[in-house]
Amino acid sequence: MNWSALDWGILGPAFIAGLLVLATHVPLGQQVLDRGIVFIDLAIAQIAGLGVIAAMSFGLPEGGVAVQLAAVVAALLGAWLLTWTERRAPQQQEALIGVMFILAACGGILLLAGNPHGGEHLKELLVGQILWVNATQLIWLAGISALILLALWRGWVQRLGRFGFYAVFAVAVTASVQLVGVYLVFASLIIPALATRAAVGPRRHLIAYGIGALGYALGLAASALFDLPSGAVIVWALAACALAGAALLPTRV
Amino acid sequence: MTQNKSTAGLGSAALALMLALLLPLPSQAALKVFACEPEWGALAQELGGSLVEVTVATNALQDPHQIQAKPSLIARTRNADLVACTGAELEIGWLPILLQQSGNARVQSGQPGNFAAADYVRKLEVPQLLDRSQGDVHAAGNPHVQTDPRNIALVATALGARLAQLDAAHAGDYNARLADFSKRWQQAMQRWSSQAAPLKGIEVVSQHKAFVYLYDWLGMKEVAVLEAKPGVEPSASHLQTVLASLKNAKARMTLYAAYQDARPSEWLNKNAGIPAVKIPFTVGGTDGAKDLFALFDDTVARLLAAAARP
Repeated sequence: MNWSALDWGILGPAFIAGLLVLATHVPLGQQVLDRGIVFIDLAIAQIAGLGVIAAMSFGLPEGGVAVQLAAVVAALLGAWLLTWTERRAPQQQEALIGVMFILAACGGILLLAGNPHGGEHLKELLVGQILWVNATQLIWLAGISALILLALWRGWVQRLGRFGFYAVFAVAVTASVQLVGVYLVFASLIIPALATRAAVGPRRHLIAYGIGALGYALGLAASALFDLPSGAVIVWALAACALAGAALLPTRV
Repeated sequence: MTQNKSTAGLGSAALALMLALLLPLPSQAALKVFACEPEWGALAQELGGSLVEVTVATNALQDPHQIQAKPSLIARTRNADLVACTGAELEIGWLPILLQQSGNARVQSGQPGNFAAADYVRKLEVPQLLDRSQGDVHAAGNPHVQTDPRNIALVATALGARLAQLDAAHAGDYNARLADFSKRWQQAMQRWSSQAAPLKGIEVVSQHKAFVYLYDWLGMKEVAVLEAKPGVEPSASHLQTVLASLKNAKARMTLYAAYQDARPSEWLNKNAGIPAVKIPFTVGGTDGAKDLFALFDDTVARLLAAAARP
């Protein structure tokens, strides 16, 4: 046990990052689950990474705005492609998402053969580590999350139909994956939504947010006390909280 | 200690409560040294003895290029009086963020509390022209300086002086320990050099360009590198080139660091009959490499054993 690591100055920014990720991912996760396309976040994150590598091989300057722009543009192109495949082959959508994931991953490796420095950026993009977040990143994430929530709440997303959902999803995942990594994005998206399938409406949202926030808090505390990598512990804490939450909810099947 | 600013959320309240109840009093006695790699932790311990309290960020079987973020890393950096790392961009993926997160002004780059070992040795493989096509290269030269004991001696002198500077009350103790260590180290280096004399001029293959200082010290000749571009999977044609070049050269062994995957070296062993040799690379890399002296005892012994094979 290491009590001295249990310090708000260390864990606070990570906890806030977790809450911001949850804010957008809980409502999106419920839609992802309803559509049966749980691996879409992995595919979108990988496509965003591919965009970054491609931008570098075209000689764009590394770091900062150019990298972010390349990531978002690639993710939006991926979203557009997914919209198209869902219209053409709705039954195969999940399989196509899987194929897109490995194509993007391997495309990255092939591009990297000529440009190994992109590898660092790909890694930064996919395995963001929640403890390393800083204030600037939190402010950006807060702004993007607020916009997404506003768009969801005002019905702008629904008005755009299928593409609206995929586009919002692409932006949310690209923004969060760089801060907390792909495992935490997947966990925040799927686990609270999965645990609250028995609930409906605003109540479902509320319980899902509660499970998510508790999971992040307990995971961060455990990571500090037992000196374990934070992201991985939070994933397990989220799953434990989800199990407890699901057990308390009345079943509805 | 940071004041708890936020009152929002159950989590933060619980954390603050636990903090207030359970935080132990920090001990003021020893100089707190945060070492990035085991070799510098071991060296600080040799030079500081009971005057220092050493924690090491990575273990010997971890790739020092990248590590997982743990709260204790930030906590220890925050309390550190001295951060002792390799430098030369080895820890560029995580150390700058860690130092920034720590908010500890004493250990920031350029401060006396920030020590980069690579600053005190002559670096090899400094690129003339930084070219992306060469792979994940280090602009500051090859950072794996600890594989040459002559470098350890140079770093020891600088680190001893730094400890004496930071903890001036005990400067005499640090100087005495440094003199003692340097004397024992010089004797050990003579022993290693005479033991390793048969290794001079032999041809070897590296799995990763991590042993250039070791070769420079022992006079070994690198004839091929399995992972030509660090961080990039080798292509089929590259492996063919390696095999072809080995037909003409008489490579005696393939070296790989203990933290690396042995598969590429094993592959070459199967395809070209060249034995693979695991090098501890740092303190703790093998069971034998318990301290800095044992690290080189074990390294030399493993190289000699492989060279003795017919």
